[in-house]
Amino acid sequence: MIKFLPLVWKNLGRNKTRSVLTGAAIALAIVLVCMLRTLPAGLDYFLDQIAKNNRISVHNKAGIVYSMPYSYLQKVRTVPGVVEATSWTWFGGAFEEEKGVTFPNFAVNPETIGIVYEDLEIEPQALADFQRYRDAALVGGQTLKQYGWKVGDLVTLRSTVFPIELTVRIVGTLGNERDPRLWLQREYMTQALEAVGVQFDQIGTVWARVDDPARVNEVMRRIDEMFRNSEAETASETERSFFANFFTNLEGFVTIILIVTGLVALCIVFIAANTASMSVRERVGEIAVLKALGFRWRLLFALLVVEAALLSTVAGAAGVLLTAGLSKAISSAAGWNPQLGPLGAFIATGAILVQGLFLALFIGILSGVVPAWGASRRSVAATLREVF
Amino acid sequence: MPLPLSYSVRSLFARRLRTGLTVSVIALVVVATTLFLGLITSLRRTLVSTGDERNLIVMRKGSSNDGSSQLSLQALQDIRFFDGVARDAADDPMISPELIVQPFFWRKDGGRENVLVRGVEPAPALAVHEDVKIVEGRMFRPSSGEAVVGTGVAGRYRGAQLGEELEFGRGRWQVVGVLASGGSSFESEVWVDARELGNDAKRTLPYSSFRLRMAGGTDADALARRIGADPRHALEAQPETDYYAEQAESANTLYVLVVGLALLAGVGAVFGATNTLYAAVQARTAEIGTLRAIGFSRGSILLSFLAESLLTAGLGFLLGGSLAWLLGVAVSAALGGVGFGAATFTTSVVQLRVGPSDLLAALLLALVIGLVGGLAPARRAAGLRPVEALRKG
Repeated sequence: MIKFLPLVWKNLGRNKTRSVLTGAAIALAIVLVCMLRTLPAGLDYFLDQIAKNNRISVHNKAGIVYSMPYSYLQKVRTVPGVVEATSWTWFGGAFEEEKGVTFPNFAVNPETIGIVYEDLEIEPQALADFQRYRDAALVGGQTLKQYGWKVGDLVTLRSTVFPIELTVRIVGTLGNERDPRLWLQREYMTQALEAVGVQFDQIGTVWARVDDPARVNEVMRRIDEMFRNSEAETASETERSFFANFFTNLEGFVTIILIVTGLVALCIVFIAANTASMSVRERVGEIAVLKALGFRWRLLFALLVVEAALLSTVAGAAGVLLTAGLSKAISSAAGWNPQLGPLGAFIATGAILVQGLFLALFIGILSGVVPAWGASRRSVAATLREVF
Repeated sequence: MPLPLSYSVRSLFARRLRTGLTVSVIALVVVATTLFLGLITSLRRTLVSTGDERNLIVMRKGSSNDGSSQLSLQALQDIRFFDGVARDAADDPMISPELIVQPFFWRKDGGRENVLVRGVEPAPALAVHEDVKIVEGRMFRPSSGEAVVGTGVAGRYRGAQLGEELEFGRGRWQVVGVLASGGSSFESEVWVDARELGNDAKRTLPYSSFRLRMAGGTDADALARRIGADPRHALEAQPETDYYAEQAESANTLYVLVVGLALLAGVGAVFGATNTLYAAVQARTAEIGTLRAIGFSRGSILLSFLAESLLTAGLGFLLGGSLAWLLGVAVSAALGGVGFGAATFTTSVVQLRVGPSDLLAALLLALVIGLVGGLAPARRAAGLRPVEALRKG
């Protein structure tokens, strides 16, 4: 079989325009399929990143925008099994006033946040500074890059929730280069509120680390029971479930993306099948001659299928390479999109690329089989009579 | 003399499989583009069609949406009697104080979403939001635990049908009516009594925004400036239409995405179409030679092949366009609207509708595919020398 590969290659080169056009069409379609798949994959990637199953969120049962008394934080900390807990309150700070909130920012408890978010591996020095300076802030890599900020910079955020604006000093990086968040000290915010006559003793969510993943359910049940029939009943859930729920309203959009991806994949099948049928049709005479010379139909069939598969795979590989470059370019150009959320990360994971390659191979084989079968099984006499 | 169009049509049907495959490729590109484009124009339409140009929205200065703004009763009292605020038949100012809260709602399939609940006073709200109509049941009565739901909400969430009991916030609400607003985003909302909602959410300040109707002939900018300049409260006013247009801007990134997709898919389809037509030219070389020999000009051969390519594209569009339209209907029937708005804390339920403008864009794409895809092969056909072409055949 291997010794026939040069023949297959030669055959592909017979009509160069056609091979190049088909290859380019397949490559483009593979790029499309892969790029579309990065959208839902972005969500999975995001959820996998925070797959910590021993961190839980406690929030008001009625909704995330419903607050809870600040005292809840202390109560959660006393629950057996809770290592440490911290609170998050949406500050809704806008850096560029006309654009609104361009990255999520929260007021947190600096004393405990390092323990609750041990897995973020915030630099000890940054964490110490965050605790020491009242106006300190930790900023995610994505936001740092987006605005070209660096440690030591002063940034003024005007809250869209509270009647204040705060100037924070960046003391360190938070999370990885895809993290858009900004954390500032809760104390800094409440003092500024007091200065304008607002007593603020509410929190948005409590995040707690549980000592043993096996105890998570028990701890969550205990917390929710503690606050039953209180002024603010709570709902606890794991971090992953919290974010999965947060983005459930994207499901419909994801369905449509998947439909469109399927359509584009089908498109490649048709383009490749068209080419395969054209090249086989032009060669019926030649195939008949080869058979008359004694070549087995099985070999001829295999050669035609390999030809289609080879073209498709080479094109698929080009498409995959293009995807890798394109997704990098887009993901560094595109910021945090409020409509797309984590769908807009455009990360072409290894799995997507490998699947794209296999899709191309599979389509090549599929498109080659039918015409090749027809051509290789035709009777020699019939064909030759027709041709000559 | 041009070749008759029927020559191109017949040529298409001479190679059914090949034509069929090319038509299918263009059809699929049309379906994919139309479906995506339809979704995003639906999203934009929903947001942009909301709001009345005669209305101003008043929020706290610096708030980018009314969900994050908080206003006091005093502020309402202070701006109610400003000049330029329209009066109703009873000479009361037409101003609707509103409170926005986004509690959890549970979808019928179990998913959890934040839904915008608007606390209003029935009479001024319906007077100021003229396009909002109660299409089933009746408006809620204040202080009686009643709610009216938008058409997009009614089918999507548990307990949100007319006559059912809806659970959100801390309480239970009786659904007594369904509101519609001609496809705008109010249809993704639930309306209840503002005071009841404030109590339920334990809000310290009673309102999020005021919507006011301007009296005829009022200069919107001047009134907005006057409200903004009031030293007692940090307020900001803007025309309602501007406010919703800003909300719709976030859809622009999606547009870029779809245009990129359509271009890529279109280029792929161009390659496919070019291939098919090259093969047609090759197979019909002798025929073309004959046509040239009996006196048809290069131009008419070129036009005839272009016509063939455009016909293929047209067929692809017809097939793809109708398929996309059907799919749009099927998808919105199956999903009951597509949810949008990941980080804005509210879900806009968008009814996917493939509209005429989406189809027109897809038709243009298909024709460009046909034209560009046909150009090179058609030129090759026109460039054939009759004697050589005849000998080859």
